[in-house]
Amino acid sequence: MSAPTNVEGSAPAEPRPSWSWALQFLLRYETLLLAVLVAEWLLFYHYGTSTNRRGVVVGFGTIDRQFDILRHSCEIGLLALALTPVILTAGIDLSVGSLLGLCAVIFGKLWHDGGLSIPLAAALTLGLGALGGGLNATLITALRLPPLIVTLGTYSLFRGLAEAITHGAVTYTDFPASFLFLGQERWLGLPTQAWLFLLVAVVVWLLVHRTTFGRSFRAIGFSPEGARYAGLPVERRVAFAYVLAGLIAALAALIYTSRLGQAKADAGTGYELFAITAVVLGGTSIFGGRGSVTGTLLGVAAIAVLKNGLACLPVVIRMNAAEEMSGLLTGALLLLALTGSILPKILSTFRGRRQAG
Amino acid sequence: MNRYFRELSVTAALGLVLLGLAVFAPAFYQPQPLLSLATREAPTLVVMCGMALVIICRQIDISVGSQFSVCSVCAGLLAARGWPLFLVVPASAAIGAVLGSLNGLLIAGLRLPSIVVTLATMVTLRQGLNLVRQGEFVNLPDGVQWFGLSQATGQWVLVAAALLLLVTMGLALRHLAAGRWIYAVGSDTEAARLAGIRPQFVTFLVFVIMGALTGLAATMNLVQSPQIQPLTGAGLELKVIAAVVVGGVAISGGRGNLWGAFAGLLLLACISPALTHLHIEAYWEKAIQGAIILLAVVADGLRQRTGGQR
Repeated sequence: MSAPTNVEGSAPAEPRPSWSWALQFLLRYETLLLAVLVAEWLLFYHYGTSTNRRGVVVGFGTIDRQFDILRHSCEIGLLALALTPVILTAGIDLSVGSLLGLCAVIFGKLWHDGGLSIPLAAALTLGLGALGGGLNATLITALRLPPLIVTLGTYSLFRGLAEAITHGAVTYTDFPASFLFLGQERWLGLPTQAWLFLLVAVVVWLLVHRTTFGRSFRAIGFSPEGARYAGLPVERRVAFAYVLAGLIAALAALIYTSRLGQAKADAGTGYELFAITAVVLGGTSIFGGRGSVTGTLLGVAAIAVLKNGLACLPVVIRMNAAEEMSGLLTGALLLLALTGSILPKILSTFRGRRQAG
Repeated sequence: MNRYFRELSVTAALGLVLLGLAVFAPAFYQPQPLLSLATREAPTLVVMCGMALVIICRQIDISVGSQFSVCSVCAGLLAARGWPLFLVVPASAAIGAVLGSLNGLLIAGLRLPSIVVTLATMVTLRQGLNLVRQGEFVNLPDGVQWFGLSQATGQWVLVAAALLLLVTMGLALRHLAAGRWIYAVGSDTEAARLAGIRPQFVTFLVFVIMGALTGLAATMNLVQSPQIQPLTGAGLELKVIAAVVVGGVAISGGRGNLWGAFAGLLLLACISPALTHLHIEAYWEKAIQGAIILLAVVADGLRQRTGGQR
């Protein structure tokens, strides 16, 4: 090497080749996920068929189909966005799906039985969501209880309350068209709820990646003690993440109710697992401290396209197994992503062993 | 007294519920419904024993519900093919052990977080089963139900077997070196390693045991009905985790025992019949279950805050 060597013997700063930023971009996890997403989409575009409303066979690539995917992924997407800050702080929230159910039922009851106007009922529902998140937050931060167990308890509690309120049977329907517009119509070319989803995505992205407030989530997840010594109000920040999750879950409940035109106690059952899968698939570490909102959005998209695309593959249609195949592949994808995420660590361990021995 | 405060308080709560039932709904104490309740909960008890080990080892397994379904369907198919029960039971346990070892390999071998790994295997197993079986029921041949015995005898056999397993495992956990390994690994992996225990091996074994017990429980469920539906066991994971946690096993590992977990399971199992006897709508069950879990952990948290012993 002709470059001037460092006398102290520490590694000399090598001049960076001009393509290093490109390589860095290519090796990022998000890029990989984007590639998977594009590959998925192209595969379905090539092989997928479906029939449109007029009974004509069309491909997977229609605008209608894309909007359909967007429409159906909004609620899980919102929950995944809500969970990203929570998981970044090394927490977990199993209760968001149940809270969605409870909020949907309360919204229906307030409007139908309480006689409140839609906006007022919606506002109260959002408040309830924040309250539910606040319950999690209080137990987790004030009493220093493990999030997994607290939210397991509220998972049961919220769903149970929803069932108790509706006696397990009542379904609220007949919502006015102005409310159904939110979940079933288009506004400015996109499904209405997609605008809300985009708004929340932008807000959460700005919060997590562009504010010191949001950056503290990662600091806390990386090392709570370190964050405390750095002067961060750890408890308050963590509590904020859970309250935000509750609030977003309530918003998802409104969208869910509007999309299906009905509110019942089993709304959003199992959504928390899909949302967690999307977040982890998006490269956020379940141990906290590492991850991005972009990754979460890509994870949601990968799952949604997979689910919807499989339903148009002729093979899958013949087997009548779209639901099962998408679940199976999502699980496999998650395992693959997990194994991939620790691959560098394993390789370096092996290398270290070879050098040592 | 102080050391077993958690176990004692759960037992006290259980006693209070039973006492309340004795006063307000003596109809609860009829032998036949009680025996049926105990039989229904026997498989859950067996799975709970495994889950207690997993949580003491500072791991978690949310795939047991799916494992239970897969084992149930496989065991059912074997029985339908004419395999005798004394072969079906070990075969089902072996299938469970294989499924558990898959979790164990990923968690202990690759050191992946157990909650995400078992989340993935839960979804994969459930959907795989649905894909293969398309929701079809398995009809069992005659002679499988209640081991071919009369119903009452069969029920007693099941309950006795589950209790025997509980006592054996509870004692083993307390007195065998292997049992103490689990506590050691759960309370401090690094210290356990320095003490000459192989933490990854212990973790792997715990997941294998968890799977085998789930397979065993599946057969205990199998003999209770004339057919097996593929959704049996959905939601089982949360039920057993709740029982274990209410029973005083710390989710942070290394603390708790099977006796407390047993009391927790009994407490949760009593809710549903208690509601019926007290003429409260059954829809409250889940909410009350959640409230009990929260109460138990809040009590834990308050005790730790006030400086009580862990």
